[in-house]
Amino acid sequence: MRKTLLLLALFLSPAFLRAQEFKIPPDVEKLSAKARETVEVTMDGPMLRWASKFLSADDPEEAKAAKLVANLKAIYVRSFEFDKEGSYTSAEVEALRSQMHVPGWSRVVGVRSERDGDNVDVFFKLEDDRMAGIVIIDAEPRELTFVNIVGPIDVDQLADLGGEFGIPRLSAKSLAKAQKGEHR
Amino acid sequence: MNHVDVENDLKNALRRENAPEGFADRVLARAANRGSSPKAVPRNSWLDFFARPLVRWAALAAISAGTIFGVHVHNVRRQRAEGEAAKERLILALRIAGSKLQLAKSKVNEINANQTHGDQSQEEKE
Amino acid sequence: MAERTTPEQSGEIAESDFAEMVRRHQSMVFSIAQHFLADRPAAEELAQDVFLQLHSSLATLKSAEHVTFWLRKVTAHRCIDYKRRRKLPQVSLEDAPEPAAPARSGDPFLARRMRQFVASLPETPRMVVILRYQEEMGAEDIASALDMPLATVKSHLQRSLAMLREKVTRAIGEVTI
Repeated sequence: MRKTLLLLALFLSPAFLRAQEFKIPPDVEKLSAKARETVEVTMDGPMLRWASKFLSADDPEEAKAAKLVANLKAIYVRSFEFDKEGSYTSAEVEALRSQMHVPGWSRVVGVRSERDGDNVDVFFKLEDDRMAGIVIIDAEPRELTFVNIVGPIDVDQLADLGGEFGIPRLSAKSLAKAQKGEHR
Repeated sequence: MNHVDVENDLKNALRRENAPEGFADRVLARAANRGSSPKAVPRNSWLDFFARPLVRWAALAAISAGTIFGVHVHNVRRQRAEGEAAKERLILALRIAGSKLQLAKSKVNEINANQTHGDQSQEEKE
Repeated sequence: MAERTTPEQSGEIAESDFAEMVRRHQSMVFSIAQHFLADRPAAEELAQDVFLQLHSSLATLKSAEHVTFWLRKVTAHRCIDYKRRRKLPQVSLEDAPEPAAPARSGDPFLARRMRQFVASLPETPRMVVILRYQEEMGAEDIASALDMPLATVKSHLQRSLAMLREKVTRAIGEVTI
């Protein structure tokens, strides 16, 4: 009985529960000091509810966004853009990735590109076979982006938004063409 | 390649906007509340009217009510402005998330396309 | 008999003109702050503080032109100080291309993106760009307002334009869906 109680205390302990949440390592947060530009968005449930009240139902894109965030618990974004390559270390990226090695999280995409140096990881969290969270870590030569969305999210709708608000839906062909254009 | 007239686009994008509604009134109210004036106001006889206690209290009550209402209106407008700003941050966060997902998908598609092309070439050789 | 001078003769601005100054210049001051900070509540608060400072400084101002220059200068300095003190996160955009339809001049979406590009510039070049293209100030006046050498202003302008041109070109580049 005592052993059971001890185990229960361990599983319910703040330390263990915190271990289930994704934390941005302090070293990564400090990258803003080196970055030329930093985007930092931290929105918990109440803030999300409040902000989404201002999304217009008359605007089709904002209406989609409102539907997307309706049941979310939090959104965290850190995006750092640097003047030069090598401004962050692989250890710092690994500090982000290593936190995903916990029960419930699965890596669904892991791309390492030697050609352009872009590395992208996408992790899903499933609870009872339903989406409960997503983490995206995009490490580019001069940019490091981390996104954590907590709560049930429709990934297809989210990806669709990548084509809304002025960001196009990129296909492999157009990506290659755009990259060719950059190398002229 | 499209010709890009950045300077014209900048002028267009950075056109002056109207200040928020009631901005001037709020500034003037704050300036008046500070109580100091660059030049002394000469005392006129009609100001003696406000020297009467009852009139003074009535005026104070009216000003207080007006100030409270003004502060309330200011707070409502401020909250609305803060809400709009929060909305913009939310949209930005979703935009970044969506674009990164798109990037991941495109990279996977590219890999699959290359693999398919490689398989086909292999089959042709055989 | 003592000689009396009118405010115009003495070159001083009367307090009664303060309200008129606020109404005349509120758009200018607010817009500089808003384009710099990209934060409406912060921009309004800062703009109000600028006018309150003007109210305290009326006796030192000599003419309408002086008032305009003074307001631009004080607003610019307050914006830069505000940002440095609060270390507000800057709005950074992906260098992602825009939708397939090319942007037109006067396109409100391009205008919005351009404002965001400007907001992503480092502080001092950002203010130089705003004073140049919102207020159409010459480089010498900008140098005077920001207390920096003329050559530095020109350098900031040149580099910022190049950066913005690159971002806009990529934003409206040929990307097909």
